[in-house]
Amino acid sequence: MDDINLLRNLERVAAPPDFERRVMAQLAQRKTELPSARRAQVFRYSLAGAAAALFAGFLALNVFVLRSGPDRMTTAGGRMAEPASSRDFVSITEPVSYRNEVRNVSAESGTVYILEQVSNASNQYIRY
Amino acid sequence: MTMRMDEQELVGRIQAGDESAFTEIVRLYKDKIVNFLFQMTGDYQRAVDLSQETFLRVYFKADKYKPIAPFSSWVYAIASNLAKTELKKRYRMNQVSLDDVQYSAEVSTPSDETTDSGLARNLREALDRLSLRYRIPVVLKDMEGYSQEEIARIIRRPVGTVKARISRGRSMLKRQLEKATKENLTFQKREIFDGRY
Repeated sequence: MDDINLLRNLERVAAPPDFERRVMAQLAQRKTELPSARRAQVFRYSLAGAAAALFAGFLALNVFVLRSGPDRMTTAGGRMAEPASSRDFVSITEPVSYRNEVRNVSAESGTVYILEQVSNASNQYIRY
Repeated sequence: MTMRMDEQELVGRIQAGDESAFTEIVRLYKDKIVNFLFQMTGDYQRAVDLSQETFLRVYFKADKYKPIAPFSSWVYAIASNLAKTELKKRYRMNQVSLDDVQYSAEVSTPSDETTDSGLARNLREALDRLSLRYRIPVVLKDMEGYSQEEIARIIRRPVGTVKARISRGRSMLKRQLEKATKENLTFQKREIFDGRY
């Protein structure tokens, strides 16, 4: 068996008689479809581009604006700021006029003052 | 050479949008491409559909053709890429069942009066079993008569690779043919034994 000429034994086929007409009909159809397909493609690409730009904008905002706030600042000692739980306490300086708070008790000699604890918290921090 | 010059001129006219030049190209190549795709897919109707797609791509992608290689190589490259995609799709969808093979053999041959000799049938079976990597260069060489250099341009591989694939493909085809012949003989013997003949 001559293996080189093996395929010569296979039948050759030809195109059907109306092949050219079918190709030209499909060509005409594709030509009409092409503008709408292009429009759809342009729309898809612009949608993808807008989404990518939005995402990039979000990333830039996150990295350059939000992260550069007071959280990232260091203290004078060079340490990073304390965790959020301890940062919840805000120190407030409130001016108090002790002149109105303290009364002259010498005028009311019969008055007995009873000091009692009114809070469940340990009294070691309560100063009278 | 004159043929090649004519083809280059036709391609130039297609690039300018001349449909009559395109018709001429279709007329020149339709039988070759349909036959090539039939040998690749084993299905005549599918081969015709893929050939139409090949020519449409030729028309719409004509501006991408560079005249450094013959026009025929470019057309065959488009056709073989379509054949590869088709077979991959078929493989993925698991369409190549025994029923489909029998159906395509019965229905999709170009003419019913074609007498399919035993050797041709076994050969078709053997060719269908051959991987595309070998089938494309073997068919281009042994059926379409292309040189190894031209095949190298079509499948975009070095000439040495093409030479090796043709040689290996031929020997694989021979082995597959022997196997198919043996299987068919056993099948025929069993049918005779079962009293079908």
